[in-house]
Amino acid sequence: MTLTERMTRTGGPATAPPSAATKRRRAAETRAGYAFLAPWLLGFFALTAGPMLASLFLAFTNYNLFAPPSWVGLGNFQTLLHDPRFAQSVKVTVAYVLVGTPVKLIAALAVAMLLNNRRRGQGLYRSAFYAPSLIGASVSIAIVWKAMFIDRGIVDQIGQFFGIGWGGWVGNPTMTMPMFILLTAWQFGAPMVIFLAGLKQVPAELYEAASVDGAGPVRKFLMITLPMISPVLFFNLLLETIHAFQIFASAFIISGGTGGPAGSTLFYTLYLYLRGFQDFRMGYAAAMAWLLVVVVGIITLIFFRSSRSWVYYRGEAE
Amino acid sequence: MRYSRFSSLLAGAMALALVVGACSSSSSPVASSGGETGPVTITYTWWGNADRASRNEQALTLFKKKYPNITVQTSFIDFTGYWTARATEAAGRSLPDVMATDMAYLREYSANGHLLDLSKYIGNTINLSGFDQSLVKAGMVDGKQIAIPTSTNTLALFYNPDLLKQAGVEPPAADYTWADYNKFLAAVSDAGKKTADGHKIYGAIDYATTFWFFLQWLVQEGKTPFNDDGSFGFKEQDMKDFLALSADLRKAGQIYPVDRGIQLLPKGGFTMNESASEFSWDNFLAGYVADSGTKNIQVMPVPTGSNGTKGMFWKPSQLLSAGANTKHPDAAAMLINFLLTDPEVGAIFGTSKGVPADKAQRDAMKPKEGSVDATVVAYEKAVADQVTAPVPLPVKGFGSIEAEYKTLGEELDYGKITIDEFVKTWFAEAATMTQ
Repeated sequence: MTLTERMTRTGGPATAPPSAATKRRRAAETRAGYAFLAPWLLGFFALTAGPMLASLFLAFTNYNLFAPPSWVGLGNFQTLLHDPRFAQSVKVTVAYVLVGTPVKLIAALAVAMLLNNRRRGQGLYRSAFYAPSLIGASVSIAIVWKAMFIDRGIVDQIGQFFGIGWGGWVGNPTMTMPMFILLTAWQFGAPMVIFLAGLKQVPAELYEAASVDGAGPVRKFLMITLPMISPVLFFNLLLETIHAFQIFASAFIISGGTGGPAGSTLFYTLYLYLRGFQDFRMGYAAAMAWLLVVVVGIITLIFFRSSRSWVYYRGEAE
Repeated sequence: MRYSRFSSLLAGAMALALVVGACSSSSSPVASSGGETGPVTITYTWWGNADRASRNEQALTLFKKKYPNITVQTSFIDFTGYWTARATEAAGRSLPDVMATDMAYLREYSANGHLLDLSKYIGNTINLSGFDQSLVKAGMVDGKQIAIPTSTNTLALFYNPDLLKQAGVEPPAADYTWADYNKFLAAVSDAGKKTADGHKIYGAIDYATTFWFFLQWLVQEGKTPFNDDGSFGFKEQDMKDFLALSADLRKAGQIYPVDRGIQLLPKGGFTMNESASEFSWDNFLAGYVADSGTKNIQVMPVPTGSNGTKGMFWKPSQLLSAGANTKHPDAAAMLINFLLTDPEVGAIFGTSKGVPADKAQRDAMKPKEGSVDATVVAYEKAVADQVTAPVPLPVKGFGSIEAEYKTLGEELDYGKITIDEFVKTWFAEAATMTQ
């Protein structure tokens, strides 16, 4: 809006019809623009849009990579309804999203608030707390994580020190989920940085005024901080939720690519991968992928709709 | 147009193959193939670990000396990743010129003509005179020779005498039955002895949750696991009966704990010296010795079935195939022949892939007394008269139904499902997977 306003205010071209020379120059500029965009466009159409369309087609076929795909209509989606492993993978993934995302965001917000205070060496602290999210999604961290949580690994030893005999988490179907939630919570760096930026934007005079009125820290947090950072909270919540649905690499490494023990780490994308690349049921896997796209899309839509009632944008309210 | 060029190439290849066959005794380098001149480069892929890679590289160094015009580019990966990569290549018709294949996947690749029919090279470029003919047939699907095994192996029971001594239990007698084996496992686990690290010593992991052992048991019961038309020669009740064999052990906690086994992967209770025995393919001995750090591992045959025979079979292992899309079929055939029959290659690989299928390769091994190779060769000699059954030729989708059996087996060992649920789910899944 503001940009167009400024253009119309400054520019004659917007009001007067353009001359032939200007037209030519514009056409040349457009061509140059597309030329510079070409590498990206090529990548987008050849590597993203094309394969996506292909997978949309495959979702309605039986395709085992060896023989050409055969059309089955909605067959794959009907099979999904009666697939107990599919139900298990949905259960595992939803549990992970519902618990993992809030835990991660709370950790991120808590650390961001600690780091928001001015103190010596805060640059060092910020870097240190951000570091895990740089390496957290890597294969090596998944391997380290597994080593930490096996029988007599460091976590088991700490447990024994406090007299808790929880043993190795990796082989215990009830303890694998907490292990993955700890892994994701530990990578709170990215949302933390965004929270930190949001916290910096909260005007100090609001807190001062609240202090004068006798508000305590909890009240200040609930009545000032949360509403003022609700846009970044919304952003983080949306991003981390979508991110959580896509968990794959760490689950693949820690479970040795099986989703075990006893299906307790059979995350949606891992199951999709197994169907596609272990059983070579590409059509079925493509159907699962598109179902995930649709579900995440709907969740995103719900988030945006609901945001009207709980996200506060300062600029808009004027 | 493409077809005609291909067929002319083929004709040229066949003509050349005849010439090569005529002078196959000479080791002179064969430079050109089917109308090609000058050096060619072919690709060769296998699955395995670093040890197998170094053996392959040694073999290929020899190959380069004998065939200086053929350059071989290699790559390798673990078994699971291997089939994912190959399937993707098959979809793009870009399989390697030479690749290792397994019985479990032959039908998929055969059904859609992804592998080269090698029959026209046999007797000329590929010399299988030192092969047992039934073994050559194992690589034949739908009348096409799409693979040739490099080696054979058979199932065996490995046990650790040191652990048995500690537990005060004698190894099973030679004519032991599955019930005897159960008693043996219970006795070792009930002895309650511990390793130096304080881990309890068990008899073995749950044998009933491995698909190949189920197949071995079926053969002993006189059943043919897979029919020629791709259907199963067993019923739900058969699988229930087999899974029930170790049910009491599972209930009583007399098998190696599955949760610890999972955490030890890729090692296991047996190679951690916490479990006294394990069924496996006999060529696993080298790996067991390397992983467990103990040389003292004994090998004996599988249990005797209810009809009094062991019904063992030779399983062809590490078959070699050529991608049907290869541009250098002759060079590929030469490499296959070299890997299958060159005596020096036999000496390089030893029994690490199984006992070599080719007689010249077997003779060239000259294993040292007491070595792993000597043990495996002696074992296969000793059980030869108990090998009475043909290997079950896997159905299409075998890799998937085997994986499904393993997944369900894990859930069974965790006590998450019952035997009935196991069998019901497996048959339902297998119906889709073998379509």
